[in-house]
Amino acid sequence: MAAGGDQEEKTLTLAQQWALKEIEEQAAKTEPPVQATEDVKPANSDSVEVVAEKTEEISATEEAIPATEEAIPATEEATPATEEAPPTAEEATPATEEALPTAEETPPAIVDSNPVTEEATPATEDATPAVEEVSEDASEERSGEEVVSEESGIKIETAPADFRFPTTNQTRHCFTRYVEYHRCTAAKGEGASECDKFAKYYRALCPGEWVDRWNEQRENGTFPGPL
Amino acid sequence: MIVHEWLFLTIAPCDAAEPWQLGFQDAATPMMQGITDLHHDIFFFLILILVFVLWMLVRALWHFDYKKHPIPQRIVHGTTIEILRTILPSIILMFIAIPSFALLYSMDEVVVDPAITIKAIGHQWYRTYEYSDYNSSDEQSLTFDSYMITEDDLELGQSRLLEVDNRVVLPANTHLRMIVTSADVPHSWAVPSSGVKCHAVPGRSNQTSISVQREGVYYGQCSRFCGTNHASMPIVVEAVSMKDYGSWVQNFE
Ligand SMILES: [Cu+2]
Repeated sequence: MAAGGDQEEKTLTLAQQWALKEIEEQAAKTEPPVQATEDVKPANSDSVEVVAEKTEEISATEEAIPATEEAIPATEEATPATEEAPPTAEEATPATEEALPTAEETPPAIVDSNPVTEEATPATEDATPAVEEVSEDASEERSGEEVVSEESGIKIETAPADFRFPTTNQTRHCFTRYVEYHRCTAAKGEGASECDKFAKYYRALCPGEWVDRWNEQRENGTFPGPL
Repeated sequence: MIVHEWLFLTIAPCDAAEPWQLGFQDAATPMMQGITDLHHDIFFFLILILVFVLWMLVRALWHFDYKKHPIPQRIVHGTTIEILRTILPSIILMFIAIPSFALLYSMDEVVVDPAITIKAIGHQWYRTYEYSDYNSSDEQSLTFDSYMITEDDLELGQSRLLEVDNRVVLPANTHLRMIVTSADVPHSWAVPSSGVKCHAVPGRSNQTSISVQREGVYYGQCSRFCGTNHASMPIVVEAVSMKDYGSWVQNFE
């Protein structure tokens, strides 16, 4: 309650907090500043900045609230569909616009919107080459070197907060990331570099015992998830 | 020293429970600060109400005894006072509910992306911690068990039933995600100074986020009765600087 970060968060309305598209977009977009500043400043001040930025930008793109429900394979093909994005204020909007045509669901009901954003962002980058802030994929690759800060000497990076799973219960978050990884390798081939982040996420979120058990189940063909 | 203990004046050298402690442990996270503040705010009004009610009670007993009023009044109800004493308390309750819910929901919220994920897995009767951010395969590279130090092995200055062999090391001033789960029966991961009490339920993973504001050693205990040695599976969190955390990770085993 006492932290500056919390205070900033308070200024968001409920509708804004549930505006998943925006928040994910902003999270993806504001990631580069976090990692860039991590080297110089204590981590705490970063977060305050990030939230402050988020707040501004969310209000800027407020009208684009509706989001989508889409299966993962569908989004993988849907990547190059960003052309009809109208030239609005921020570069965050194109990716959101892409999501708009299929909008049917209310924000909290989103099942697989995250892949949409992640897959969509590279396309956005291509469409607007003048943008100085890079998409999540690019920033992740870049962070590979940059996040290794002099302060800690190790790479400080973990699965981001996922707004499909905003509750205390993260069981499905872990499971979904595990499934996402294996669907990704099924689609793109074993050891595809695009899938590495999903591997990182599920390893961060799932207890090792669960992963071992699921690996075994996959080998036996008894895995209960949609692979 | 013993006299001091009896005067409730002990000062523990760390963030652990003190003998005869009545209040909270010092806050180490904004969450705990919020809890402490809310408690104190509510307690202020609680004392006011207590004094008011006691005053009315004592006054009634004092003034209306059988010597002064040998014939009792036969009032059985009064509409005005009944409405007042129903409405007023409910308004007070609503005023308590506002900051209470605000705090509750702010504790649930994940404000920013965490920097590190730490998994705390409860067992009968020890804990396993997994730091999987540094894994490059499904093999766990940084994981360890944390057992309580038995009474015979305690060194001078260590707390009985609180010290462990392997502490949870984490960086201060960093947003952390704790994933809490259990491998057998329900346990609980609770550290009072950090304002965290998270149930460890087998088959389910619970998330709680903490950001420790100062370096130090924080003690907690299992808070869900889990069997014979429920008392022997404490939690020790050691918050260090990011630099020290980095070298701890690099030098692990
Ligand atoms: Cu236990």
